[in-house]
Amino acid sequence: MAVYQHTYQHYAGVTTPLWSRFLILPRYAFQGVFQSKLFTGLFAICFAPLLVMTILIYFKHNTTALAAFGLSVSDIGFNINGFFFRVFTNIQTGFGFLLTVIVGPVLISRDLSNNALPLYLCRPLTRTDYVIGKMSVIGFLLSLITWVPLLLLFFFEAYLEGASWWWENLFIARAVLVVSWAHIILLALLATALSAWLKWRIAASGALFAVFTIPTPISIMVNEMFSTNLGTLIHPSFVLNLLMDKLFRLESGMLPDWMVPPTWSLWASLIVLALICVGLLSLKVRAYEVVK
Amino acid sequence: MEAVINIPISQTAKESVTAEQMIVFEDVSKFYGEILGVNRVNLQIAPGITSLVGPNGSGKTTLMNLMTGLIQPTRGRVKVLDYSANDPEIFFRKVGYCSQFDSFPAGHTGYEFVYSYLRVHGYAKNDADRMTARAIERVGLTEAAKRKVAGYSKGMRQRIRLAQSIAHQPSVIVLDEPLNGLDPMARAEAIRLFRELADEGLHLIISSHILHEVNKMSDRVIFIKEGYIKAEGEVQGVRNELEEHPLQIVVRCDQPSFLATKLFAEPHIVEVHIHDDRKGLFVKTRNTDKFYDLLNRVVVTSDLNIETVATVDNDLNAVYHYLIGARQEGE
Amino acid sequence: MNAVAIEAPTLGSGWSLWRRQIAGILRLEIKKNFLSKRALPMYLLAAIPVVIMMMLALFDRGMRRGVRTNFAEAMIVFSNLHEGLILRTVIFFGCAWIFMNLFRGEVVDKSLHYYFLSAVKREVLVVGKYLSGLIASCTLFLLTTAGALFFLYLPRGVQANLDYIFNGPGWAQITDYLGITILACVGYGALFMVIGLFFRNPIIPALFVYGWEWLNFLLPPMLKKISIIHYLHSLVPVPVNEGPLAIIGEPTPQWIAITGMLIVTAIVLFLASMRIRRMEIHYGGE
Ligand SMILES: Nc1ncnc2c1ncn2[C@@H]1O[C@H](COP(=O)(O)OP(=O)(O)OP(=O)(O)O)[C@@H](O)[C@H]1O
Ligand SMILES: [Mg+2]
Repeated sequence: MAVYQHTYQHYAGVTTPLWSRFLILPRYAFQGVFQSKLFTGLFAICFAPLLVMTILIYFKHNTTALAAFGLSVSDIGFNINGFFFRVFTNIQTGFGFLLTVIVGPVLISRDLSNNALPLYLCRPLTRTDYVIGKMSVIGFLLSLITWVPLLLLFFFEAYLEGASWWWENLFIARAVLVVSWAHIILLALLATALSAWLKWRIAASGALFAVFTIPTPISIMVNEMFSTNLGTLIHPSFVLNLLMDKLFRLESGMLPDWMVPPTWSLWASLIVLALICVGLLSLKVRAYEVVK
Repeated sequence: MEAVINIPISQTAKESVTAEQMIVFEDVSKFYGEILGVNRVNLQIAPGITSLVGPNGSGKTTLMNLMTGLIQPTRGRVKVLDYSANDPEIFFRKVGYCSQFDSFPAGHTGYEFVYSYLRVHGYAKNDADRMTARAIERVGLTEAAKRKVAGYSKGMRQRIRLAQSIAHQPSVIVLDEPLNGLDPMARAEAIRLFRELADEGLHLIISSHILHEVNKMSDRVIFIKEGYIKAEGEVQGVRNELEEHPLQIVVRCDQPSFLATKLFAEPHIVEVHIHDDRKGLFVKTRNTDKFYDLLNRVVVTSDLNIETVATVDNDLNAVYHYLIGARQEGE
Repeated sequence: MNAVAIEAPTLGSGWSLWRRQIAGILRLEIKKNFLSKRALPMYLLAAIPVVIMMMLALFDRGMRRGVRTNFAEAMIVFSNLHEGLILRTVIFFGCAWIFMNLFRGEVVDKSLHYYFLSAVKREVLVVGKYLSGLIASCTLFLLTTAGALFFLYLPRGVQANLDYIFNGPGWAQITDYLGITILACVGYGALFMVIGLFFRNPIIPALFVYGWEWLNFLLPPMLKKISIIHYLHSLVPVPVNEGPLAIIGEPTPQWIAITGMLIVTAIVLFLASMRIRRMEIHYGGE
């Protein structure tokens, strides 16, 4: 064919920057996720506790509104403090877990069972981009119901209380951020790792539940039998809860004192779990597998 | 609904075959919820190679799954050699099905895959070994048989599934696009194998998109479109039945536009295309006799010079084109 | 008409055929599900109680209640471990995994049609698959129980153990615990096979069962009877204290527990066969 007859031209326009390429995955994932009425409903319910929180904070500071109900500030039996925020952070991360159980397992399972990984990876998208893209689905969803609204409420409360409360309670904001992100990263990693290994998405949901239920009797039994606190470390849910207590500067009520390991070991156990997930992901997220 | 064109396969052959040797569909319909799979299928299929031809989504796989009991008909009845798939213990001694699912139980080598399911049939170790070796040899995969299926190429997977479906020596073999992914040599081999099996008196039901191969190997064709059987019978027979269906004719002449204006006036002409080089045209007519009459008259009454007149051949491609309406690409 | 050039060997019929077919299914299933890499998490799960008992037997340091020297105390520890960890966790989750996967796993792998295209009655297929799950789970969890028992006895020394086993209550205890393990596999296996077959999303019923079984001690005696752990619980040789809140129902006699479990299994296999008989192959849905 003569050169002048070549009419084919490849795309020469601008492309999205490489660093933001992974965002394509959550964008499409959200379309699918919110098609499910069940999920959309649950997601809406996730905001209910936040609404309750807002109302509580509002009334706590608004004597005239209280008076309308014939109440005074002293009638309200709670304080807006670390404990208050801890309770709600706990509720929100609990919801986050449920959302992850619903959304997480489809993330990679579907691509694997439909042999879609090669399709992704043959485009300018690296394995890391792919995994980060998938994790960011959970990251965005959980951010929306955890640290973003909780911090806003913290600012709201600080605004109502004044500067001294702000400075005294800044640790609450830090705790909210750290706890939320610990949950987000851990849940996103667990969900992607499990869904990469289990083609059946329902099995992946089950496994996510199992990671948070099977260790309960094991860790208590190990602690009891060996009178040690190391058993606590194998249970991510215990670990997260203990960390939450520490960060919100509260006494731990869930486990007796002797079962509580030092803080650094709590962090270490989470990091080990995260590394295991990363390892599992890097073994499985591949364009092809060599079969021996 | 259009009438089904039902051409008796060479009359004598059909009469000598009893119901015990036929595959019979009696008014079979299958709906997937609202979606039509196949509708009101009535078929009687005698031994030999029967090809199932139709565009994507026309219901070929549905028909085959119905035949083998992988799905149940919404209405109607399917009998294969007078057996029903609801009694698998007897039925699947007679029937082998190579489905379109390109998937395997985890962790087997090609040999183990074929062998294991023979054991499930109930064959003893020695028999199963012998039958496995023979089936794998027939598809020409003996060398790769000891490797894991998960590491096979597409054509190898296709072949090992073929081996699995014929290993228990059934008398009816249903094959869903068995030539998919095979290289030209393997295709020829496979077709030879099918021919061989058919000559042994087996039923082979084969779906395929590659028309010239269907043309070459089939004793009979079934055309299916949008869930309806459009025609069935021998390729030639089907073609003859289509007399009143449009026929394509190519005319090479010096004044194609002039001829075209004459042709347009006639009601039996369906379509006229003038060739790009303006040295000929392409005509589609419903009535060939009238067309040739007209052509004669035009030649006599004008100074039109005709170089050639040719009908597009009576092969399957043409039949497919008429019945199904979709142009075959790359043929 | 000459149908086939080389006649296929005859298969026969009836029980002898079914026996061979079931053997064929077992062969395939066990190789595919239990002797492969994908079974690894299950082996790890099954090893946990053994490892715990081993540590207990080997390391004296910091033992709270002196289990190494005080056998009565060790027995109590073991009975708690057996019920809390082996029955309610390891066997529960193990059986859930094994039995729900029997058919679902094949749908996910898109390989169920190979069975449906074999000359096997679907009833025989159900029995074969159930047996394969049972054999695998029993083997695995009997090893778990036996291993844990081994390390329970180990610190007492050979002579004391022989004495305890052959002249004391030891033998009866061992057979009881092993028997309970088998019954647990039978019961949970049947339950999860049905859940896996009848629910599109079996996680929810499975979680419900999990909660139900854990809260069993709170249930009134009538409701207790519709749970698997209740029957297993009434069979254990060393009673487990269920805590102050427990509602004590009278334990069910051994023979009722066992025959009940077997009848339930028969019903479950029947239901599963009904389900499988009408099952169509559609792999798209997952
Ligand atoms: N499980 C199903 N659920 C819903 N619709 C289905 C299902 N299976 C097939 N169909 C529909 O039935 C029709 C016939 O499908 P079928 O698979 O039989 O086509 P086919 O002729 O085999 O096509 P191809 O040449 O692409 O293999 C199609 O419209 C298809 O969408
Ligand atoms: Mg098809």
